[in-house]
Amino acid sequence: MTRMLLQMDSITKKYGEFSANRGIDFSLRAGEVHAIVGENGAGKTTLMRILYGMEQPTSGTISLNGKAVSFASPLDAIQHGIGMVHQHFMLFPTFTVAENIVIGHEPGSGVRFDRKQAVSIVEELCETYGMKVDPEAVVSSTAPGVQQRVEILKVLYQGAEIIILDEPTGVLTPLEVKELLEAIKQLSKQGKSFILISHKLNEVLEVADRITVLRDGEVTGVVNKGEADAALLSRLMVGRELADLDRRPAQPGESVLEVSEVTIRGSKGKPVLDNVSLNVRAGEIVGVAGISGNGQSELLQVISGLASSDSGSIKLSGKDVTGMSTRSIREHGLAHIPEDRYVWGANRTATVADTGLMGHQRRLQRSGMLKLKEIRSLVSGWVQKFSIKTGSLDTSTQYLSGGNLQKLIVARELEQGTPFLIAAEPTRGVDIGAMETIHGELLKRREEGTGILLVSSELTEIIKLSDRILVMYEGRIAGELSVNEATEEKLGLLMAGGTLQ
Amino acid sequence: MNKWTKWTLPLLQPIGAIIVGLLAGAIGILIAGGSILETYAEMWKGAFGGMYFFTNTLSRATPIILIGLGAAFAFRAGFFNLGAEGQMVFGALAAALVGLYLPGPGWFVCIAALLAGVIAGGLWSVMAGYFDARFRVNLLISTLLLNYVAVLFAGYLVAYPLRDRSGSAAMAQSPMLDNSVWLPKLISGMPLHIGFVLAVLAALIIFVLLKRSVIGYEIRMLGGNPLFALYGGVKRGPMMIGAMFASGGLAGLGGAVEILGSQYRYIDGALSTANYAWTGIMAALLAGSHPIGTLIAAIFLAALQTGGMGVERNTEVPLEVGAIIQAVLILFISARFTYSFLKRRKENKSDGTAV
Repeated sequence: MTRMLLQMDSITKKYGEFSANRGIDFSLRAGEVHAIVGENGAGKTTLMRILYGMEQPTSGTISLNGKAVSFASPLDAIQHGIGMVHQHFMLFPTFTVAENIVIGHEPGSGVRFDRKQAVSIVEELCETYGMKVDPEAVVSSTAPGVQQRVEILKVLYQGAEIIILDEPTGVLTPLEVKELLEAIKQLSKQGKSFILISHKLNEVLEVADRITVLRDGEVTGVVNKGEADAALLSRLMVGRELADLDRRPAQPGESVLEVSEVTIRGSKGKPVLDNVSLNVRAGEIVGVAGISGNGQSELLQVISGLASSDSGSIKLSGKDVTGMSTRSIREHGLAHIPEDRYVWGANRTATVADTGLMGHQRRLQRSGMLKLKEIRSLVSGWVQKFSIKTGSLDTSTQYLSGGNLQKLIVARELEQGTPFLIAAEPTRGVDIGAMETIHGELLKRREEGTGILLVSSELTEIIKLSDRILVMYEGRIAGELSVNEATEEKLGLLMAGGTLQ
Repeated sequence: MNKWTKWTLPLLQPIGAIIVGLLAGAIGILIAGGSILETYAEMWKGAFGGMYFFTNTLSRATPIILIGLGAAFAFRAGFFNLGAEGQMVFGALAAALVGLYLPGPGWFVCIAALLAGVIAGGLWSVMAGYFDARFRVNLLISTLLLNYVAVLFAGYLVAYPLRDRSGSAAMAQSPMLDNSVWLPKLISGMPLHIGFVLAVLAALIIFVLLKRSVIGYEIRMLGGNPLFALYGGVKRGPMMIGAMFASGGLAGLGGAVEILGSQYRYIDGALSTANYAWTGIMAALLAGSHPIGTLIAAIFLAALQTGGMGVERNTEVPLEVGAIIQAVLILFISARFTYSFLKRRKENKSDGTAV
């Protein structure tokens, strides 16, 4: 057995009475890709924060190359060759790629910053590690996949031997994910070691040499490449068998949503939505696939009244709602799980109860005053049903983790009881257990006769839930497939602008 | 988070700011050559020592409370209304005009004058809101600049067409109101008038409205995240007009009670030099726009001012010690405030939206 590059022994971290990590052993060889999987709150992030010097363990030791170390700060960790790429990119959007990479160790003499040298340094890095970026591009104008590469190159430039990737594929398109996994394999061949935190099992299975599974702060299993499959991993993560979705063929009824010939011209000469027509009938789930930025967001905004179209019409349950306010559209029977939970879906400074109340406030009132008791029992019902982890109903929304907030929003919108529901990225960032619950609830609503428009960047989710699948490409509906004929390959082809002939 | 920390955490920063303010004041006192303890004792006496001084402080706090509540209300809805001064001045002017020229029994004229104050302040404020909604004129700038228009216009009116020519005083002021329209005193012989009761009631009503009503909920959500409110079906336009009217109306009421309860005539500059408007905005900021907190903060700030006067009367230390403490408070509070304002600007650049 080769010598371990990094060894973490019986790491325990307590916050008051609560143990986030309990006696965790973790090791990493040089050139190894070691994945850590687990549900939200399993302790993955805490463990990595300890390794990266952001937290101190209550007990346990860390050794690097056989020598015991302790990191007082991330800077300390970086100097020991540990780099971290965070889930949310930490880049300066108005700076160029090269400036972002060399930040902190800028080339030049004295106070002078040598831009040319920075560019050539970055070109050299790209060469060495086989990752392509344009050093002179401004970060805000680059795609998420490129920003990810910039983050990795930054960490490499800082001299990292161990790179921690926290949920690296959350914001990437399928193609970008593929490129990232390639890059990880390539870099590990060159001797770099990776710790990959993820809950996307298929990606982990593809790239990891070893997988450590955490649940409730403890290690529930360590498996080597080739010994694991997704079913085993999810059993270790959740601690029970996941039920297969009970799915009967759809029995679609009347149209609940009719979008006809909607166009948004857009500012760059190219229409954002180009003559889009679609309909959703009661009791069916229509999936919309596509690489993000091909008009899906705009389509949902037009339907829900958050944006207006230049032409075309939208009908909800047979009634023309084109150009109505968001309130009237909701009153005509629309509920909406929004794409971005922080921008549209929540008020971070409000309490959990207040964020959960939105859309129900005009229903739960008596002569203008809120029925606080009913509201609280409603929201605490959701908290139980979806096992939302929150201190109390009066906790500020900003303290909910992303997955828990998502569950709150899903619960709130399902409760609206409307004949039509928009579900945009309904399970983004939630763990497997919650995903199972949310998928189950969406299917249950379908059985009850709700028409659902599902937009997701996860093809597996689209294929699993939808009865019909539309693919959007450059603002148009590029094709429609029934669930029986849809495969990831066919969808991927349409998503990339190809045709099926 | 347990109950205890929930209640104390938001209080930590204001209390910390007050302590640092008092320390800075102590340095000021040392430089002025006074004794710290004696000066602060005089300040306490000037603000709360005895019935007269206590009611005097509450009377001074009355317009500050109302203006502070108005500012807090707008801030909670996410509208950065800095026009309290102009709204107060127009409220005061309207109250004075109605009090002078409306015929009828005293109580009737008094109530009409209060209402006129609310309407004048409210409409002046709504105008800025309308400019924002219709022409995208930044609310912060328009409310601020409309202050000058209001103050100078009112000054012109009392300096020329409405000037009191009965007495020998050479001041630009309106004639005195008939004492039948004055707001009744709460305790005879003391400065405190019934306007204070109105201010406390207003604080309670706004507290309940924000916390318990549907409109209050929508206002809070609009202030917290305008896009979330839009998504949930809250209509920004009507909300903005309503919030701006309530905000300006409260400032106008503040001006009106000061005229009808304390000054009995509109004197050019009297409301501005007393700094009621900005003190009110400060009270709102100090309390994080919480209505009951604003009430308490307004009384505290009024006490700093009346206490400062007591210090000047009885010691060698100048009045400005109170001002030093207040200045340090502003510094500490604006630090937090500007920070959250900038953060919001970064998140979504929606004009006229703040806090």
